[in-house]
Amino acid sequence: MAEPEVSIRNLTYRYRGRKDPALDGINLEVAEGEFVVIMGHSGAGKSTLCTSLNGLVPHFLRGRMEGEVRVGGRSTREGRVGEFGQEVGLVFQDFEAQLFSTNVALEVAFGPENFQVEHEEMVKRVENVLRQVRLEGFEDRTPATLSGGQKQRLAIASVLAIQPRILCLDEPTTDLDPMGKLGVFEIAEELKNRDDVTLIVVEHETEETLDADRIVVLRDGKIVANRPAREVLQDVKLLEESSVMPLQVARFFHERGTEDEQLPLTPEEGVEEFERRGWRVSPERHRELVEADEEREQSYGETLIEVEGLSHHYPNGVVALEGVDLSVREGEFLAVLGQNGSGKTTLVKHFNGLLKPTEGSVRVDGEETVKQGIRRLGQRVGYVFQNPDHQIFSDTVADEVAFGPKIREMDEGEIGERVEEALTAVSMEGRGDEDPFGLTKGERQRVAVASILAVRPEVLILDEPTTGLDYAEQRSMMELIRRLNEAGSTIIVVTHTMWVVAEYAHRAVVMRDGKVALQGSVREVFAEEDELRDASLRPPHIVSFGNALGYPVLSVEEMLRVTEGG
Amino acid sequence: MDPSLYLDRGTWVHRLDPRTKMFLLIGSFVLAFVFLNPLYLLGVLAVVLLFGYLAGVLVNLRRIWFILVAIAIVSAILWSIFGSGRTPLFLFVEREAVTYGIGVALRIDITIIAGMIFLSTTRNEEVAIGLVRLGIPYRFAFAVSTALRLVPTIVATGLTISQAQRSRGLDLESGNFIERIRKHLPLLVPVFVTTVRSTNVFSMALESKGFGASPERTYFLQIAMGRRDVLVLVVFVLLLAGCIALRVVGGYGGLEGFTR
Amino acid sequence: MKEVLTMWRHTQMVVLVALSAAIYAAVLIPFKGFPIIPGAVEIRPANVFPVIFGLLFGPAGAWGAAIGNLIGDFFGTLSPGSIGGFVGNFFLALLPYKMWGAYFRRDENVEQNVSSGKKLAVYIAVAAVASMACAVIIAWWVAVLGIFPFLATLVLIVSNNAIMAIVLGPVLLLALYPRVKQWGLLWTEIMNPEEVPASRLQRVGNVLVWVGSLGGVAVGVILSLTGVASGVGIGLALLPFPILILVGSFILGGREQVEAAHEMIAGEGQESEA
Repeated sequence: MAEPEVSIRNLTYRYRGRKDPALDGINLEVAEGEFVVIMGHSGAGKSTLCTSLNGLVPHFLRGRMEGEVRVGGRSTREGRVGEFGQEVGLVFQDFEAQLFSTNVALEVAFGPENFQVEHEEMVKRVENVLRQVRLEGFEDRTPATLSGGQKQRLAIASVLAIQPRILCLDEPTTDLDPMGKLGVFEIAEELKNRDDVTLIVVEHETEETLDADRIVVLRDGKIVANRPAREVLQDVKLLEESSVMPLQVARFFHERGTEDEQLPLTPEEGVEEFERRGWRVSPERHRELVEADEEREQSYGETLIEVEGLSHHYPNGVVALEGVDLSVREGEFLAVLGQNGSGKTTLVKHFNGLLKPTEGSVRVDGEETVKQGIRRLGQRVGYVFQNPDHQIFSDTVADEVAFGPKIREMDEGEIGERVEEALTAVSMEGRGDEDPFGLTKGERQRVAVASILAVRPEVLILDEPTTGLDYAEQRSMMELIRRLNEAGSTIIVVTHTMWVVAEYAHRAVVMRDGKVALQGSVREVFAEEDELRDASLRPPHIVSFGNALGYPVLSVEEMLRVTEGG
Repeated sequence: MDPSLYLDRGTWVHRLDPRTKMFLLIGSFVLAFVFLNPLYLLGVLAVVLLFGYLAGVLVNLRRIWFILVAIAIVSAILWSIFGSGRTPLFLFVEREAVTYGIGVALRIDITIIAGMIFLSTTRNEEVAIGLVRLGIPYRFAFAVSTALRLVPTIVATGLTISQAQRSRGLDLESGNFIERIRKHLPLLVPVFVTTVRSTNVFSMALESKGFGASPERTYFLQIAMGRRDVLVLVVFVLLLAGCIALRVVGGYGGLEGFTR
Repeated sequence: MKEVLTMWRHTQMVVLVALSAAIYAAVLIPFKGFPIIPGAVEIRPANVFPVIFGLLFGPAGAWGAAIGNLIGDFFGTLSPGSIGGFVGNFFLALLPYKMWGAYFRRDENVEQNVSSGKKLAVYIAVAAVASMACAVIIAWWVAVLGIFPFLATLVLIVSNNAIMAIVLGPVLLLALYPRVKQWGLLWTEIMNPEEVPASRLQRVGNVLVWVGSLGGVAVGVILSLTGVASGVGIGLALLPFPILILVGSFILGGREQVEAAHEMIAGEGQESEA
């Protein structure tokens, strides 16, 4: 048998200053042309594993390595990172931090330049590779003017131009919107079909791992699964224990007692299996769900935010919003969905006064936002930005959370109370003395939420609260938000993580090209699959499953509740 | 937002080798300093503006007019106060000092306009490769061009951070001098942290693509001096030499009776 | 001064040059509204960064501050003054880290944060001297060129740099030092001792820089007030002072700071194994 491309034996790696190993006794082989997906919770060691492939571990990062990694027959201990760069192409998660040139063509040529490729050959490669990632015609563009998805495709192109035999993509689609993700998946699809490229991808989105040859699941630095993709995806219990989101259809059947080997994975397979087993959906129980929705609608309080005929034009002429009508009532949990550039963020930035309408009106608590100003509105409408690091600047968690109250000149006692209250609300009570920068991303996000809660706003807007978090962290964050909603806060979430919307939001607004494409209860909105697709959104698998059976459901739990038979 | 001044006009000026343009830029700085007399300086200004017109980039003057005017005014006033001459005008201000002030204002404005023309006709990557071909070590040119690439991104991040902190109630307008300076901390710290945090990923990405793998490298962007470059350089050198001769040998273009 | 060249071997240092230059330029540009001497003097809180960059990133911070200032000029005010701005900002960032080691004995903690009263005092002193040195260099250049009166330039630069560095600096350092250390990006940890000159004549170098900076300011002010406002006269008279600053910088060294940092890392390593 041919020597495997990648051969890892007993790899253990400890970062400098940490006692627990990031990787613990890893044994893994990858053959030429394979497509392997690596999954696991935050901190499981996925990125460390990727960097061990091209010598960054052990040569660049500071720590101790035991065991051996052989790539193309050569051990990574010998030779420098630069040399392995020709065989192993590594694309990092943070697309912003791996682009350094001032134009697209140069960015792609950077790798070949370093490896002294001849000019003629370089020109050919650049052209070729830009076509592969569908960026032809972009040669002279500045990276700053590209969208997130385009930047990531550019990063992939810049690595492909080196023509490595092994391509490793570390969470390439995190932080990308659905269109962006699709673009990257399409490239991965084409790459996997090539025999001369061995593809290793670290991925969160379980729904996209169906095409892999094998899935490797990491937990706490160890490999807990290394089997063909289908088998791993059917091992629902293992995935849940490893903080990886299992495929919803598979989990549904698993909860109903189906054996692992027979679990269907996609909505289509699920529908087939459902009918084959003669299961039915109970119309009465389904109606109960719909009625519960309607009851909840009645229970909302007065209208807090009223948007009428809102249009917004940016100074450079771009029309971001056109004729938007919307109202948000007290106690609601609203999700605003859409592509990047659809206007969803522009819309919600009107609610706290960051943006002023060009036409139309936005009223909060009955008064126009333009009359109130950001400072006053901030008291009523809290806005948690997507990246907590864009806010955090204090030395301690308590100081950070106290920032809002301090600015509003509350007295010492009041401030202390508010800080305690806010920290408890985000399950971080007692941690006021900690250093915010030493926390994990999920914890920093909670601190950011707490700092907004300390001002006790009526409405809480959260921009992409689940990006960059693993499944367990996402659940934890959404449970927190749900608790806040149940305690009386009105919640507006801007996101494109569809399963989160389905399970937690009550109402949804879908934005497309600056206009409202769909509006209504989540159940109603998610039943319109065609419209969603036009807005470049896809409902979660369980929702498609329910829709296909004629009974819209929003979660695995709901589907279980309404199913009978078998 | 793209704060860069570059305008893609495709004129012959744009097509000149970046080294030629750098030489012209430095040369125009020297040219601006040959004369002191505002009348002669106006002549130099006309030449520079003509060049800008041929390059089709004078529209960028709109973006810097405020700077040009502000400097002119400040310079004229400061020199009127600090300089001394022979013919008194009013109070302690002498005519020669005012003339000198205007002359200096013209000098500075000429150099800024020359700088603007250079930046409007030369892409960032051309600057980088020009520097490399002139002998500046690659790593240095790389740091410069990477910094250029990152500036718009960081500015955008800064704006987002500003929005986020303003949403929390940060008000940069109120308070006394020291307080207002301190209020910049919620802006400066996150900008620094988010940017510097990416250093390690950045460095890893660089090394993964072979940065520093070997001491030599090839270049995608090729530049070459053509006939037009030589022609332009010759014309300019003659112009410069002529002006210097005019001032030094002929004694024209200076300013009598002024002391600093 | 050789660390200014040897640093280019380290990828992380190259990246830090680019990042600090970009941060500085990015924070300068929005305030471009009122430049007083294009390329050299503008009112801006961003002026705190060179001192911070220098202390944390050493020579990478020096190059970064210089290049950042130049790039800031690319967005509107490129002129001969920019040369002065380049050199001035280079030293504004260089002097703090070069001088830092001169104030601590072998056994004292020499980390570049402000965790004690003494360190705060050293920080203020070093920031003040660096501000003055930067002002002397830029004002001298600008006066020789004849585009601005020496005194006005001097006062503006010293006050701008010193105020920002002293008001904002310590708090910034408090917030930033632990992060930078955690990420392994302190210059004293990235560079190796042999790449930095030894500090045998540190005290002498320190004194030379003080004399060059304070002297330059004092003599410059006196000369301006008594009549030689600018031009070749003041250029010649003040020339010794930038030269003193330069010579002092060469002598200052800095190796023991790097050695101390490496010892700390080694110590930590042993702790985690124990």
